[in-house]
Amino acid sequence: MIEIEHLTKQFGDLRAVDDISLTVPAGEFFVILGPNAAGKTTTIKVMAGLMKPTSGSVRVCGFDIGTHPIDARRCMAYVPDFPFLYDKLTPAEFFRFTGKLFGMEDAAMLAEAERLAKRFNLGEFLAKPIEGLSHGTKQRVAIVSALMHSPKVVVFDEPMVGLDPHHSRVLKDILREQANAGVTVFVSTHQLSVAEEMADRIGIMHRGRLVAVGSHDELQAANRDSTLESIFLSLTNDDQ
Amino acid sequence: MNDAKPIPHWRLLAGVNRTQSWRRLKSAVAQSRLHAFLMGLFVVGYAWLAYALFHKALQFTSSFPGLGPVLIERMMFLLFAFLFLLLLLSNVIINFTNLFRNKETHFLLTLPVPHQVIYRWKIFESGILASWAFLFLIAPLVAAYGTTYNAPWHFYFVTPLFVALFVVLPGILGSWAAIGLARWLDRLAFQVAAVLAVIVLIVAVSSWLQPETVTDEMLETRVLDVVDRLLSRTKFSLFPFLPSYWVSSGITQWVEGALMGTLFFGLVLLSHTLFFGYLASTRSGGIFYGALSAVNSRGGGRTGWKFWRRKPALGQAAFAPKPLDRLAKLLWWGRADTRALIVKDVRTFLRDATQWGQSLILLGLLIAYIVNLRHFSHRLTSDFWIDLTSYLNLGACVLNLATLTTRFVFPQISLEGKRIWIVGMAPLGMHRTLMAKFLFSTAVSMSVTMALVGASCAMLSIPLERILYFTLTVGVMAFTLNALAVGLGAVYPNFREDNPSKIVSGFGGTLCLVLSFLYIIGMLSLMAATSRWAFGGSSVAVFWLGWAVFLGGSFLLGWLPMRTGIRKMASVEI
Repeated sequence: MIEIEHLTKQFGDLRAVDDISLTVPAGEFFVILGPNAAGKTTTIKVMAGLMKPTSGSVRVCGFDIGTHPIDARRCMAYVPDFPFLYDKLTPAEFFRFTGKLFGMEDAAMLAEAERLAKRFNLGEFLAKPIEGLSHGTKQRVAIVSALMHSPKVVVFDEPMVGLDPHHSRVLKDILREQANAGVTVFVSTHQLSVAEEMADRIGIMHRGRLVAVGSHDELQAANRDSTLESIFLSLTNDDQ
Repeated sequence: MNDAKPIPHWRLLAGVNRTQSWRRLKSAVAQSRLHAFLMGLFVVGYAWLAYALFHKALQFTSSFPGLGPVLIERMMFLLFAFLFLLLLLSNVIINFTNLFRNKETHFLLTLPVPHQVIYRWKIFESGILASWAFLFLIAPLVAAYGTTYNAPWHFYFVTPLFVALFVVLPGILGSWAAIGLARWLDRLAFQVAAVLAVIVLIVAVSSWLQPETVTDEMLETRVLDVVDRLLSRTKFSLFPFLPSYWVSSGITQWVEGALMGTLFFGLVLLSHTLFFGYLASTRSGGIFYGALSAVNSRGGGRTGWKFWRRKPALGQAAFAPKPLDRLAKLLWWGRADTRALIVKDVRTFLRDATQWGQSLILLGLLIAYIVNLRHFSHRLTSDFWIDLTSYLNLGACVLNLATLTTRFVFPQISLEGKRIWIVGMAPLGMHRTLMAKFLFSTAVSMSVTMALVGASCAMLSIPLERILYFTLTVGVMAFTLNALAVGLGAVYPNFREDNPSKIVSGFGGTLCLVLSFLYIIGMLSLMAATSRWAFGGSSVAVFWLGWAVFLGGSFLLGWLPMRTGIRKMASVEI
């Protein structure tokens, strides 16, 4: 599970994340929405340990990311919006490398990589250098490498960017299966349809604050609006 | 999942990066065999030529009775002292990039890899990147030192060991300095201290390096006194707490057969390397992560120096013309779109610290050389030396210019790359784009090189007509070198690459550099051979014939690539 307590992140004069508290239990598919510069990516980067919080704390699988970063990361899968890949390696070599970093055995690593690669149709690309792959294919490689160690928490920042409709569907199905199997899924996206279709709960961030949290129905009830789009627009409209 | 004995992270990182580097090397060779061949030729050629020259120079110096060994020994101490300083600077810069701006570092931080392992791996990688070139450059000198003194065979095994231990220290100190820099860069107190330190350093170095007047009488009768005064300026290299002192003492004592002395300095070096190595590899990971978090937390690009940081303009004020736009209006004869293109290019150049930094270093070295001419030009009494020096000045200036045009002008068209639709779709057209880039870079390089060559000629006190001759020559060569770089840049564009140094290292960039150098060597030889006054002097007819060949050759070498480049751009498909 993910536990965020009074998280604040300051960039000089700018408060990018402003006193956020949130708990995402095991088995929940949580989608975070928000306009550009709302603080979603900053929140995720703090969760991934790429920067320290100005105040507050983040616990992943019960481990504080500040004090027990290795334990927290061992149970987590993180894919950023533009993932880093070793461009001269092949996807198969990259999977082996990340699997070993997570301490996986050869047999388990091979089985899991094969299973996920098959679902993402990566078979024909496994032995080709990553540098020659399209953006979407690279994104699929990053997703497989993140998921193959059977994480307990999955944190994806804009995972649908670059994916075609077919592979977006595959990813959504896999994430749903993960959540059903007890994995905590935390996804940031601009696609409201993903939130409507997939999320158990939705969080809306605006100007660093979590302005709404709840299931789709709860948000509709609280805001007396029919669609997620109108709820989103009304909560993130600066003119009001 | 964790039953199998896990492979240490360090080994995994080393393995994956070894594979990456090997494949990168193979693909670089496959991409441009000419480039790879020339690089190989350069490596072997440099090692051989440098060894031969150093050996000859050391033998010449050692032939002075009594004085020779003292000079050579001091030179070794100076060599390693400056090597230490250069390695330190190089390590600071590379560690800063590698620890805080590197995508792999950020990727590894999201995996269960301890901060300490990431830091250890990155300083190891930075140490290699920062040191290999310096070690390659000094290796022939150290080898020549060994052969000059008939050092035993084991000298050539012990010396690399000493040097290997030595390079660890600037590597670690450089990484700590980079961490400090990253951590405190945005603090006003740090910025003030840094500026003050630089000013103090400049003042101290300039007063330290003030030239001393040595009369002919002193040189003839009081040589030892003059040498002693010269050597007193180099005493800093004998400071016993400098790691360079330990390594140079170890090496020089090994040559002299004082093995116990070598052992002592070897152990001093080893103990320091182990001590600092232990601190770096076991105790610095947390500090590194704190600094990295601070760097990431700055975000938003507001990392500029507080002295001249202005509040960003908002609303209509953001569109107001800036000084550069107003300056461009002085080019009243140019069209507005051409001026906009030039302003964009200048702005991009000025905002890329790597680009202007490298230009500044190259030009700075040239200016320092020319300014220092005044210190010894009064000693050039022979016409031969004055002629030779003036041609060498011209050569140094155009070779420098060729490096700059290949490095900065050649990649211009490729750098438009993914953005070329903006220029390509505009009414400006690729023809005028190319011409605008060519004319602007030519105008800038002509002004700089003509001024520098004119100044150097004036310092040599040569007659006005010769100053005019050299200044015109460099002007014509600037024209050709820029046309060659712009033209070949359009003939061999690389629209997939964003990094200018990678664009230059391809076939087109290599060809541009080779052609530029061949042109310079050929034309300088021609100009010297047909000169009216230098090296014996030629007849008027030969002089004008030489100029005609020079002008014709220069025009052709500039015009042909430009014409081909313009045609290629007219049909380019991205």
